[in-house]
Amino acid sequence: MIFEIIIIALNSLKANKLRTFLSMLGIIIGVGAVIAIVSIGTGTQQRITARISNLGSNLINIRRGYRWGRSGVSSTATNVFTLEMAEYIEKSCPDVKVVLPNNQGSGLLIKGENNIQATVVGTEAAYQEIYDYYPRQGKFIGPDDLKEANNIIVLGSELVNELSPDSNPLGKSIKFNYQNRTLLFTVVGVMEDKSTGGPVGDLNSQAYIPSTTYMNKLANSNYVSGFTAQARSSEVASEAVDQIEYFLIKAIGDKDGFHIMSQDQILDTINDVTNSMTLMLGGIAAISLLVGGIGIMNIMLVSVTERTKEVGIRKALGAKKKDILTQFLIESLALSGIGGVLGIGLGYIGAYLIAQFAGWPFVVSNLSVIVAFSFSLLIGIFFGIYPAMKAAALDPVDALSYE
Amino acid sequence: MLAVKDLSKVYNDGKEIAVKALKEVSFTIEDGEMVAIMGPSGSGKSTLMHLIGCLDQPTSGEYLLDNEDVSLANEKQLAVIRNKRIGFVFQQFNLLPRRSILHNVEVPLIYAGVGRKERRVKAKDVLEKVGLGHRLDHYPNEISGGQKQRVAIARALANNPSLILADEPTGNLDSETENEIIDIFHDLNEQGHTIVLVTHSKKVGHSAKRILHLLDGELVEDEVVA
Repeated sequence: MIFEIIIIALNSLKANKLRTFLSMLGIIIGVGAVIAIVSIGTGTQQRITARISNLGSNLINIRRGYRWGRSGVSSTATNVFTLEMAEYIEKSCPDVKVVLPNNQGSGLLIKGENNIQATVVGTEAAYQEIYDYYPRQGKFIGPDDLKEANNIIVLGSELVNELSPDSNPLGKSIKFNYQNRTLLFTVVGVMEDKSTGGPVGDLNSQAYIPSTTYMNKLANSNYVSGFTAQARSSEVASEAVDQIEYFLIKAIGDKDGFHIMSQDQILDTINDVTNSMTLMLGGIAAISLLVGGIGIMNIMLVSVTERTKEVGIRKALGAKKKDILTQFLIESLALSGIGGVLGIGLGYIGAYLIAQFAGWPFVVSNLSVIVAFSFSLLIGIFFGIYPAMKAAALDPVDALSYE
Repeated sequence: MLAVKDLSKVYNDGKEIAVKALKEVSFTIEDGEMVAIMGPSGSGKSTLMHLIGCLDQPTSGEYLLDNEDVSLANEKQLAVIRNKRIGFVFQQFNLLPRRSILHNVEVPLIYAGVGRKERRVKAKDVLEKVGLGHRLDHYPNEISGGQKQRVAIARALANNPSLILADEPTGNLDSETENEIIDIFHDLNEQGHTIVLVTHSKKVGHSAKRILHLLDGELVEDEVVA
């Protein structure tokens, strides 16, 4: 008999198609929004993860810590961040493969009539290996360049496009203006194209000079802003972090003088952030599901009032309270269920279009589909139960005489 | 057999003055009888019909249907009694407008839990009995008033109830159609169905073999029609 009641309920919905569709709309949009937003969150996350992993593997970032002192940066901490320390860590930590000093500053690159604001990185040969990033033309910074603090420069691909789009830049002179100092460099290489995101910035629009040149001639400082280390493998990444930490604590004296973070930790942090963003936006979308539920309740109440006579007839013909309750409950359940299915479709289409437009991977998590759909069914029951009970409780005599 | 004893119904709806719609009415209707309940508006005949039809329950008194005291039944039991033992025919026909005639007749069978195939056979059968075997797939708005009332009679017969209860069954029909419907009731009565007609029409009343006259909630005359 439950089957018959389902048919009765579905027929009632069919009899008023436009109204049925409109009352489903809230659920359709709600479910669609939840699925699309979760998909966008996952897509963004995958893209960021891919870009960070693309940077190189098993990287560990170390930078100076900040203290709430008068000068901001504590002097003891600064003293430790030297080229010698980089070398020392590299030699002393068994699980660390290489340590690079980090130096970078922003200034104006000038070539002939063209100029561009760019970040210049003071570094050494190991940079290539760490970031899996090699010149497509010419060469990178060599050991001699480092020893002699040569005025050579390697340009990122984007910079070449801006500064000398037509001619071969190798061997040409280029000026770099940094804090009222202008230095003349010879271009010795152009880097390959590599798109990245996240904490390092866009590699393509950076230029590279020997770290000695940077420290001695540009910044006039013996200290670097931090180190980038590479662990020997991903298995020992956390050991490498511990070892570096041990040496730095020994050198600085306490943990506040520096920050250390492995690539995995950065990824974890970013995943945490995107997850909570997704959860928050998904939650907001779920509120529209709730609103959709109220829409269903509204329509069901109208429907019960309109069909008071029908309820009276059915009761006179032998329908029990339970039969009427089931009939109306199935109607609201069908509204939210069909709305949910259409919403899943809408969510897929929306997520696909946005992924196409934004250029990130199209991923719809099964969990989001299941959760959104079950939630819509729950809403159908929750908001359908009151109108259904109202219908079931109608007095047969009153209901029959209702016009 | 249907027997009411000292049946009363008082409406007070929370108001101070209670309305006594029915005052200690007693009578017995045997199986196979055809009885009319007559009276002017406000005489309590609708109230009596609702009580006999198990749509409502009396304030006091006894109502025996097939020797079972129905006045003590709960809501669910009343629904079962309405479904299996009573067939209603209303003045307004009360068909479900968006359903086919066949489905309309199937409704009481659905609530009786009859399976799909058997239901179809039974519904067709009763529709043929009232001369509508060729109109199964029509909708109520496609047929005449007289035909609608025949569908309603077929629906009342679907579960083969012991009592057919008709409330002003010809109130919305012209006199020619009225005669047709009265003939159907006569035929059904001859086939053994107990029929109770509630009406204020003399013509319909006198088509029955016995008339219970109600006035101001009291049974004033139990007339046997010659």
